[in-house]
Amino acid sequence: MNLFAQALAVARKDLAIELRTKESLNAAGSFAIVILLIFSFAFESFSDEMNEFGGGLLWLVFAFAGALVFNRGFARELPNECLDTLLASPLSAAGLIIGKAFANFAMLLVVELVSLIVFGIFYGIDWLSKGAWLSVVFALATWGVSILGAVFGALTVNLRLRELMLPVIIYPLMIPLLIAAIELTNTVLNQHSVSGQMEWIRVLVASDIVFTTLAWMLADAILVN
Amino acid sequence: MREKLVIGLAAVVAILLSYNLYNIFLVLPDEVSQGYIYRIIYFHVPAAIVGMLGYFAAMTLSVLYLASGKFRYDSLAASIVEVSVVFSTLNIVTGSIWARVIWGIWWTWDPRLTSALVCVLIFAGYLMMRRSIDEPTQRARLSAALTIFGCVDVVIVWKSIEWFRNNHPGPVLSIRTGGGHIDPAMEHMLYMNFLALLLMGTVLVLIRSRQESTAREIDSLRRNAHV
Amino acid sequence: MDARNFTFMFYGFLAAWLIVLVYIVSLARRGSRLRKELEDVKQLISTAPENRS
Repeated sequence: MNLFAQALAVARKDLAIELRTKESLNAAGSFAIVILLIFSFAFESFSDEMNEFGGGLLWLVFAFAGALVFNRGFARELPNECLDTLLASPLSAAGLIIGKAFANFAMLLVVELVSLIVFGIFYGIDWLSKGAWLSVVFALATWGVSILGAVFGALTVNLRLRELMLPVIIYPLMIPLLIAAIELTNTVLNQHSVSGQMEWIRVLVASDIVFTTLAWMLADAILVN
Repeated sequence: MREKLVIGLAAVVAILLSYNLYNIFLVLPDEVSQGYIYRIIYFHVPAAIVGMLGYFAAMTLSVLYLASGKFRYDSLAASIVEVSVVFSTLNIVTGSIWARVIWGIWWTWDPRLTSALVCVLIFAGYLMMRRSIDEPTQRARLSAALTIFGCVDVVIVWKSIEWFRNNHPGPVLSIRTGGGHIDPAMEHMLYMNFLALLLMGTVLVLIRSRQESTAREIDSLRRNAHV
Repeated sequence: MDARNFTFMFYGFLAAWLIVLVYIVSLARRGSRLRKELEDVKQLISTAPENRS
């Protein structure tokens, strides 16, 4: 089985579990909606200012909700020694980590979609008119944070203070991705052309490639017991 | 032997720093547009370079740890990261004071300053994380991964003045620009103070890594005695 | 402008040296704490060998 097939198998397993239990999706989704609600008291909705703040607000919400999703990623393998079983199986470490990243990516995309709809309702923004670039930006940035979440989720799974340590570690690493995503989302919100902001697309693509390559190279060292 | 090395190096650092400070304050002329305040460059730039070199050294040691499993690489990496965080903080604080005079603001969110701050946050998080994990193998593995991923941001800091539009001044050192951007006497003093700070950093790392060995010794004594 | 420049330069150097000094002091304190702890653990082991299983 090649790496991609292994990763898909892991992702399929995780998503099947998630569809059955919906623990991460419910938690992250409700958390995202509550944060958006709280922000609506802080900022005036239906105003032009929303075009300046919208990207920042959204990506903050996604970062916080993402931490909840990434925490569960490897933590769900702890009961009944499932993690040990996975490590002892013919599955490669890289396949496991990238598979978890695929699952994180899918779950975070669902949370983002729900958030976009709620955000559109609370703040009067019509996302459908914003064009295909938004999907590209979301896909690139979400992959970057998902692979970080998978790698550091694996490393922090056995820690006592896992829920605290994982956000503390990955948020600074995510900052270049978040800044690029926020700038590009604001550009799209303001109806400006993304082609004038290609440097941020380059930042996203470069970060994704570098983080994925590092994850693949370090997987064995990270997951060895 | 090691103590003699530390004391010897510390003496060299003291002499070199005294000589440099004498030159910085009394010999070198003022910069044409900035006046006295520019002299802060002789700590600001070398501290930045020592910090970044430290992070790359820690990254190399982290890779060596992951490859070999030997804890001394992890201990040395942690010591180097700690000292590098001190130098990076020094860099940001001196830069902020300099910016207050030249730009009129303490801070701006341009790529270099932002990425430098993120760098300090990443490695400060590293230090905080190390204190909260007792199990040595887990701690070492997580530290190694974090250092390797964190160095991606160090590269961004280093290259940001070339890649992005910035408030921060562009490269001036001849090794980067090919010459003509800075007076040779000033550049010479930058390298001299870089040497002084590098040696100071080495002394601090030697002391810190000795403490890490002591901590590991205490740990293993405790484990063996079931205390 | 010049006097202000000089004051800020003084603050800049002061800040730099303070940061280094604070770190050196914390390093010294940690060192003496570790040395004491090592002595204590060695003492504990030497005076209670029957604790070992």
